[in-house]
Amino acid sequence: MAIRRLPETLINRIAAGEVVERPASVVKELVENALDAGAGEVETIFRDGGRSLIEVRDDGCGMTREDLALAVERHATSKLDDDSLVRIITLGFRGEALASIAAVARLAIISRRQEADTAWEIRVEAGRKEEPRPAARAPGTTVSVRDLFFATPARLKFLRSARAETMEAARVLRRLALAHPDVAFRFVTEARAVFSLAPGTEEARIAAILGRAFLDNAFAFAAEREGYSVRGWGSLPTFSRGQPDQQYLFVNGRPVTDRQLSGLVRAAYSDVLEKGRHPSVVLHIACAPELVDVNVHPAKREVRFRQPALVRSLIINALREAIAREGQRTAMPVRGMVPAGDDNKLPHQEKPAAGAAFADRLSQEAARLSLAAQAPLMDLPPQGRHSAGLAESKTAFAGVADVSAPDLSPAGLDAGADAGAAETGAEAAENHPLGAALAQVHGTYIIAQTQDGIVIVDQHAAHERIVLERLKRERAAGGISRQGLLIPEVVELDADSADAVLAHAEMLADLGLVVEPFGPGAVLVREVPAALGHCDVAGLVRDVAADLIAHDLPQALQERLEHVLATFACHHSVRAGRFLTREEMDALLREMERTPRSGQCNHGRPTWVKLTLADLERLFKRA
Amino acid sequence: MRVTVERNALLKALGHVQSVVERRTTVPILSNVLMQAGEEGLKLTATDLDMEVVEEVAANVLEGGAGTAPAHLLHDIVRKLPDGSQLSIEQPDEGRVAVISGRSRFMLPALPPEDFPDLAAGEPSHEFAIPVDDLAFFIERTKFAISTEETRYYLNGIYFHTLEREDGSVAMRAVATDGHRLARAELPAPEGAAGMPGIIVPRKAVLELLRLLDAAEEDVQVALTQSKIRFAIDGVVLTTKLIDGNFPDYERVIPIDNDKRLEVDTRLFAQAVDRVSTVSSEKGRAVKLSIESERLVLSVNNPEAGSAEEELSCHYEGEPLEIGFNARYLLEIAAQIESATTVFLFSDAASPTIMRDSDDDRTIYVLMPMRV
Repeated sequence: MAIRRLPETLINRIAAGEVVERPASVVKELVENALDAGAGEVETIFRDGGRSLIEVRDDGCGMTREDLALAVERHATSKLDDDSLVRIITLGFRGEALASIAAVARLAIISRRQEADTAWEIRVEAGRKEEPRPAARAPGTTVSVRDLFFATPARLKFLRSARAETMEAARVLRRLALAHPDVAFRFVTEARAVFSLAPGTEEARIAAILGRAFLDNAFAFAAEREGYSVRGWGSLPTFSRGQPDQQYLFVNGRPVTDRQLSGLVRAAYSDVLEKGRHPSVVLHIACAPELVDVNVHPAKREVRFRQPALVRSLIINALREAIAREGQRTAMPVRGMVPAGDDNKLPHQEKPAAGAAFADRLSQEAARLSLAAQAPLMDLPPQGRHSAGLAESKTAFAGVADVSAPDLSPAGLDAGADAGAAETGAEAAENHPLGAALAQVHGTYIIAQTQDGIVIVDQHAAHERIVLERLKRERAAGGISRQGLLIPEVVELDADSADAVLAHAEMLADLGLVVEPFGPGAVLVREVPAALGHCDVAGLVRDVAADLIAHDLPQALQERLEHVLATFACHHSVRAGRFLTREEMDALLREMERTPRSGQCNHGRPTWVKLTLADLERLFKRA
Repeated sequence: MRVTVERNALLKALGHVQSVVERRTTVPILSNVLMQAGEEGLKLTATDLDMEVVEEVAANVLEGGAGTAPAHLLHDIVRKLPDGSQLSIEQPDEGRVAVISGRSRFMLPALPPEDFPDLAAGEPSHEFAIPVDDLAFFIERTKFAISTEETRYYLNGIYFHTLEREDGSVAMRAVATDGHRLARAELPAPEGAAGMPGIIVPRKAVLELLRLLDAAEEDVQVALTQSKIRFAIDGVVLTTKLIDGNFPDYERVIPIDNDKRLEVDTRLFAQAVDRVSTVSSEKGRAVKLSIESERLVLSVNNPEAGSAEEELSCHYEGEPLEIGFNARYLLEIAAQIESATTVFLFSDAASPTIMRDSDDDRTIYVLMPMRV
């Protein structure tokens, strides 16, 4: 067959295949256009999972009649002021979105410039453009996409259910909304308003999207180096999830997915997180536009940094530093658990079912109050980890609890101090965050009184962390000793893995693993970390290679080294059942206050929980 | 089957066979001992499918036959019977075995003896007799270096082979290594062993063999087939599968031109290593040896738990040297050395080091240094 040039309509359809994958990608392109147009309010309307209608309305700058005619052409954009891709500051720049959408759907755009007195409408059907004609509209732009993929039936067949496509679009919108807290977002389907987000502070937007609980159990972090800056919020290690589905990454305000992100985050949280759990993070990376290449992926889902290793270590160090600083806090759904566990023993307590309606009202009330001053430890609503059966009573109680939460601000603290002083006489130790030890119960838990409540400490978990941190200091000071192998071990790998391992040979040597090249696709192991004893060298190298390929970090090696310390710490710390004197208990509490990451044991379980006086008063209906 | 047997004789035999039986097994018959009553007495057999121990006990056989009974249970029962008592073992029906002694009467569940696995060893290619002391010497001097790490399974045993010496005599060697250190013992080969293939005897069999050698007097009869080896020790027959793998070319890792020679008192050295390593808290912490002509300083530096240093007098020829070793490895090798003086031969701080007994050239130990 002879070679021929493809017709324009076909070229556009092929291009559309890259950009317009499913309804959610249409939403992404259109909403990004609205944001680039400086919109303060963006409304998205979805019908039939986006098949029959996707409409995005904004109050942005709008377009003139001439612009409108040009906008639907391929490679036409207002977003590149010169002909270079080096300094991209807008979300879009490729000039492909509208032409691609127009190639596979019926497109209608109505737009009016702020200063113009009429709006103009243009229609394009499967690539065929009509002349613009006058229309009525307030300043801004409305883009309607009807019958998506009618021109490419093959793509139509691969769409998922209306519900699944709607959820995907909602995910896309949430990401964009997180990056633009100052813009109002509404998402409406034929059945309901999925969400409506008012413009506000970044905290308010995060609370609306990740939940109030995240913000209250998160720490802020920030770091900067060589023109890159990272900042954001990470959840406390004890506030984790079963899936890495709440990890948001933004590069210069652009939502990005990064395969390495969850690995990086896990590396940063290593040794404070339970196995199989994932933290929630919102991570913003900012840098000069020329330091990042966004023209990597047609839908701009991925980006490339000029110095990827620097960015990775910046992220990890920022998170680690924040965890070391904040890791003494613990997150525990205490409030949810107290009534659930004690229902039977507290006959006077309102039955959760009966109280639910009341609690609902109260929690709505609470939501209206500013909760920013809440103590972080206590206001955590129940998380998904607990069985659904308990959810109702927990919600009820969480609602009740939240109402008086503002009392925990400094004024509340003073009240607590007075009460404490009246009951026991002021003790010096009460000025410490973890208070003065009162007693040990069941040989396992330490009860301590603080200025504003009581603290319950799991003595084994707490001491375990203290011993681990001491061992880590020891190792950091002494270096990792390496045992030479009498018979060096040849490990067969694939070529990529071998290259990855050898490229990081220096870093691995610092961790005790000395490797040399041994022909294509193999490495020779000369020395291993002495602490690992007789380990499966081949298995270790293979795991390390996989980690290095995935995220440039020898996670497997670090985890094994840490596991040795953790096991030692577990066996050399105070066990449950051991009787402790007051002096010993106070010493443990003071040591916890000094030790970084002491909020969770080596396995990521919390080491202490706190009940404030307000919580106790609520339990006894004194509030 | 109906036999009467003396308690002490049976206890001794059960003690030998029951240690082969794994406490937990997925094949029920493997937790049983096979009892076969024949003209020569009662034959007991236990196996874990890799190794089998057979022992005959003098017994009065009233009725021949075979049966099985749970090995550990039977051993515990016999152990608790009074010293010197007689007991009778019989099989009232297929599913049970009765043990009766005086007024005690036990009924144990039995499995069919036909199901008992047979570790038949084919025709031997080599047969020889080795003195008890020689075999014990081989095992005792090398067993500490056997690897327990299972991915390199060919190191999970002692490698035996023969070789011709320069003077034309034939020697037998036992070698074990875990990749960090190596132990080699050499003795004149027993008659009939010359030319046997190199074999790897698994760790469990080696340790069992050592227990049996403890009380043995006569030479051990060894028979070797392609995949198994059989040791007959004073009426006890231990048969084991060999490890099917290639032992590494160990000669290459034994350095021949280490020229820095250190002589030190074995006991004082071991005690000093033990003392200074007290302050190392983490597993695998190195002991540093700082060596000058007449002075050896052992030191451990542990930033949190403190530091330790001990000085020993020694004899050393060569450039001053600093080298680190795993304290446990040093102690384990020192424990093998019987003479008053241990000889070290060094090359440098990163290369294999030789340790040996000053009076005994039958053994040689190689140790890889540690680096901090």
